[in-house]
Amino acid sequence: MKRTIIFIPVLLLSACLSLQGQNLSDLRVSEVVATNENGLQDEFGERNGWIEIFNTSSGTVRFGGCYLTDDPSDLKKYHIPTTDRNTSVGPRQSVVFHASGKSFQGSFHTNFKIANGSTVYLVSNDGKTVIDSLTVPSDLPADWSAVKIPVGVKQIDMETGTSQSPTPGSYNGDVDAKTNSEIMKEKDPHGLVLTLIAVFVVFLSLFILSIIFRLVGKLSMKAVGKPKEKKVRKSKAKAGEMTPEVAAAISMALREEFGGEVYAAIAMALDEYLGTSTHDLESYIITIRPSAASQWADKSQNFRRLPRR
Amino acid sequence: MSTVIESLKQFWYFTGFANASWQNLVMILIGILFIYIAIKKEWEPLLLVPIGFGMIVGNIPMFPGLNIGIYEDGSVLNILYQGVKQGWYPPLIFLGIGAMTDFSALISQPRLLLIGAAAQTGIFGAYLIALALGFDPNQAGAIGIIGGADGPTAIFLSSKLAPELMGAIAVSAYSYMALVPVIQRPIMLALTTKKERLIRMPAPRQVSQKEKIIFPVVGFLLTAFIVPSGLPLLGMLFFGNLLKESGVTRRLAETARGPLIDVVTTLIGLTVGASTQADKFLSLTSVKIFALGLTSFIIATTCGVLFVKLWNLFLKDGRKINPLIGNAGVSAVPDSARVSETVGREFDPGNHLLMHAMGPNVAGVIGSAVAAGILLGFLS
Repeated sequence: MKRTIIFIPVLLLSACLSLQGQNLSDLRVSEVVATNENGLQDEFGERNGWIEIFNTSSGTVRFGGCYLTDDPSDLKKYHIPTTDRNTSVGPRQSVVFHASGKSFQGSFHTNFKIANGSTVYLVSNDGKTVIDSLTVPSDLPADWSAVKIPVGVKQIDMETGTSQSPTPGSYNGDVDAKTNSEIMKEKDPHGLVLTLIAVFVVFLSLFILSIIFRLVGKLSMKAVGKPKEKKVRKSKAKAGEMTPEVAAAISMALREEFGGEVYAAIAMALDEYLGTSTHDLESYIITIRPSAASQWADKSQNFRRLPRR
Repeated sequence: MSTVIESLKQFWYFTGFANASWQNLVMILIGILFIYIAIKKEWEPLLLVPIGFGMIVGNIPMFPGLNIGIYEDGSVLNILYQGVKQGWYPPLIFLGIGAMTDFSALISQPRLLLIGAAAQTGIFGAYLIALALGFDPNQAGAIGIIGGADGPTAIFLSSKLAPELMGAIAVSAYSYMALVPVIQRPIMLALTTKKERLIRMPAPRQVSQKEKIIFPVVGFLLTAFIVPSGLPLLGMLFFGNLLKESGVTRRLAETARGPLIDVVTTLIGLTVGASTQADKFLSLTSVKIFALGLTSFIIATTCGVLFVKLWNLFLKDGRKINPLIGNAGVSAVPDSARVSETVGREFDPGNHLLMHAMGPNVAGVIGSAVAAGILLGFLS
């Protein structure tokens, strides 16, 4: 029962995480044209409004099963087919849906049209969670788009605006954006700022780690240190603590000619002490298992060390 | 008869002899030198033998278009090279390193972590010099990481920041790792007095199993939250260590530190070696990278030793640290710790520094992964 109580929340949590793992939350409604008079034509030569979805992540996202809508009271208005293999978008890429109102023309044709003042919602495959939305201003001229433009160094944050030159299926940000290296070359040509920050962060990380483990060590010593120390002192031989005296005793024992069984017992005791335990636990019987390597895989069967001078 | 002669001529054009250039021969000789050093001197043989042989493989002159070269898409070598190029092998090696590293020395004396941080200065010293020499910041960062003395990290970072320099950076990093005893010893001796070399440090306390299990979890959470870009390396390192210390995943730990790391080390060595094709490798840039790599090693060792000396000024007697373990702050595990032990015993045969030096040594592994994460975050 106790296990079930622990297991159920873990299962629920992992189910939630698997939804997140699809990266649907990385999708954005990045550009919308409501009145398309001279712009993009669909495969049937018609001009309709269109909706661009952009993947902000560095992995491919499958969006089959999600919904598009312009009606907040009907979030399941257009169901993007799950069976279409094209319903995925690569990293930092975008796809375009034609708002033709003719969904029978293909997976990328919605069953609704859009007009100025519409808000387009991208809804997750649960039919409830709105991933992103974009509103077309009501006074937007024909052939203009409402657009989200990636900004900032990492080009992940987005700024909403309008554009006179829509770019369906293309990147909305600055295609000539500088790389981090180029930015650093301009801002920190001699590298001093980066060096100072980096050295500080390395020191800080390891300093915090050292503080934490000093505390953990102290707590550990407090919790088990004193009482155990007393016990060990009383029953040193039983605990098999590796003190210099014990080491010396083993060393002296090994110098004597005791024969195979005694050596085996010493080896087993050492093995147990070192925690590599390759023997079975049976009372009064010493069983030393052979090495895990089989004869054919045993390196010693294949290689020889050259004699050293 | 003329057909036979024509065929033989054609065959000749396909042979390595017809396509050989002096650059190829130079690289083949360097490869043979690596193999010789590895076998005769036993300097990092597990790395230098595959790299040396890889150099020979990569520099066999051949007729282009046979789709067998390492830079030809779809060839066997090219497929194996993807593990280097895409950065798959280094995290797998870190998994094995984590599964074979005992962090007890560090956990018992957490203050030694700071030596690992001080030695990372070599990375940033080389970064500054590389910038001054005209390298772009991303290239300078990739070159600087050689100072971390960590081959997998160097390959990982250069594959992300400056793939065009990866061959030279990897060979430089592994070569200097093999030369750690030669490079570090004179610096350690020059910077320390005889009295300092005789400092005896208190024996480290015993570490409980619980502490060993907590370490990889807390260590990972902390470092990965501070530098998420180091996730592949840090995640694998601490995961491997958790496999080792948990006590319930012995088979996984044994595979990670045994067969897995052996396979990946073989492949990474061979393909890195083979990537040093003469036409892409023999250049003034490679010479500069080798010089900067050596400089970064020297700076790292110097900073590690000087940091301990400086720290000792504030420590009471009995708590003082032997500066001979300062060199171990670079992450060449366990070679640099072994150098501390050897040099320490030269002056006091009863003074064993190995256990103490292992602390900063494994801290260096964490520190270089953190430094790589920072460089990746700023420059990628």
